[in-house]
Amino acid sequence: MCLGIPMQIKSIEGFNARCEAKGVERDVSLFMMQDDQLEVDDFIVVHVGYAIQKISPQEAQSAWEIYDEMLAGEQS
Amino acid sequence: MTISAKQWLQQIHALPQRKDKVKIMNVCGGHERSITMAGLRKALPDYIELVPGPGCPVCVCPEEDVFEAIQLALNEDIILVAFGDMLRVPVNVPKAQARTLEQAKAQGADIRPIASPTEAVAIAKQNPDQAVVFFAAGFETTTAPVAAMMVEGVPDNLSLLLSGRLTWPAVAMLLDSGTPGFDALIAPGHVSTIMGPEEWEFVVDKHNIPAAVAGFQPDSLLAAMYSTLRQLNDERYFLDNCYPSLVKPGGNKSARRQLDKAMDVYDANWRGVGIIPGSGYVLNQQYSSHDVRAQFPSYADDARKRAGQMPPGCDCAQVVLGKIYPNECKLFGTACKPRNPIGPCMVSDEGACRIWWAGGMRETVNRVSEQEAVG
Repeated sequence: MCLGIPMQIKSIEGFNARCEAKGVERDVSLFMMQDDQLEVDDFIVVHVGYAIQKISPQEAQSAWEIYDEMLAGEQS
Repeated sequence: MTISAKQWLQQIHALPQRKDKVKIMNVCGGHERSITMAGLRKALPDYIELVPGPGCPVCVCPEEDVFEAIQLALNEDIILVAFGDMLRVPVNVPKAQARTLEQAKAQGADIRPIASPTEAVAIAKQNPDQAVVFFAAGFETTTAPVAAMMVEGVPDNLSLLLSGRLTWPAVAMLLDSGTPGFDALIAPGHVSTIMGPEEWEFVVDKHNIPAAVAGFQPDSLLAAMYSTLRQLNDERYFLDNCYPSLVKPGGNKSARRQLDKAMDVYDANWRGVGIIPGSGYVLNQQYSSHDVRAQFPSYADDARKRAGQMPPGCDCAQVVLGKIYPNECKLFGTACKPRNPIGPCMVSDEGACRIWWAGGMRETVNRVSEQEAVG
């Protein structure tokens, strides 16, 4: 349950954000990110539907590349 | 400059070879999954052992809580929602009775898997005339969003059956026992993202054991292993942060404030392990009207009588504490497989038994025979 998924913010309304990763969109709560200034196009790590931390685009990209490798390894 | 997993492996192999075994424990199912799926055990020098420790919240959720959830769902006019893993965790009751939430659902109970606390709120709003109970098991990373959900505000008809646990007290218990079974610790990445890396300083300061926080990718895990091995070799111990992109000093302060606002910490039972001081979350007084244990106290009383129950022969508690490896349990791969799990470690995606099975580490070890041979 501790898996965190890097996602990009597409729109923000109050504490809710529409986020995207790998072409999949999800609603994400920003309620735990009240000390951070978040904007559209920022990257966040999402756990059980809640953003837990902001990350850089490079870190998000790097995480996804490695997740892709691991997923490919599990499916092979 | 970032260092790749391959380069970290080369660095580890370049360290002076130790004659004694070095046991490095992780306390996160996500870490164990990455280690196993990336085949890191085979890639490391022989003197290094990677030990999965208390890192699976589903595995430590006490039987009485699962029993209580099943009985509530079967006997009360409620909708019970829970993270998907919890639906297949078995309790030790006669086969004629519902042994899992999944079986209770098959018997007609309204039980729905969810992936987020926000789904629990949505279901409660969609069903305003019905009580909705959210059976919420998890470590700090998952309990913090549950606390956030409560602080943000939930409908009156949504209540919690909370089985939240803190990770570090289980490690403290192992270390205080005098036989922790590990020489170095890989601290959990997302727990530390929420709570801050400082929570793990006691491992170094009080016990002189090297520790490093790691992320979930092989490069971060290997960096943490390298750090702890270097610390052992140099006999200079400190808490390293090998996941700085997410783990910040003090953690996620907003999330921590919400945890503090909604929940108190209490001495909690861990499945098969017993009471660990200061290791559980309970809704505090302000939110007691949403505490299912206050609303249905007789179920909590009945469930409490089952404290300590474990399926016969199940060694999950020993696996959780890192005392044995999954393939040393005599049920592993025989009576207990992912399709027919006996214990929670074979149910959850974060359970060491399920991870080892999925990773092809299926060769069993006859622990009793080995001990007899030694003895």
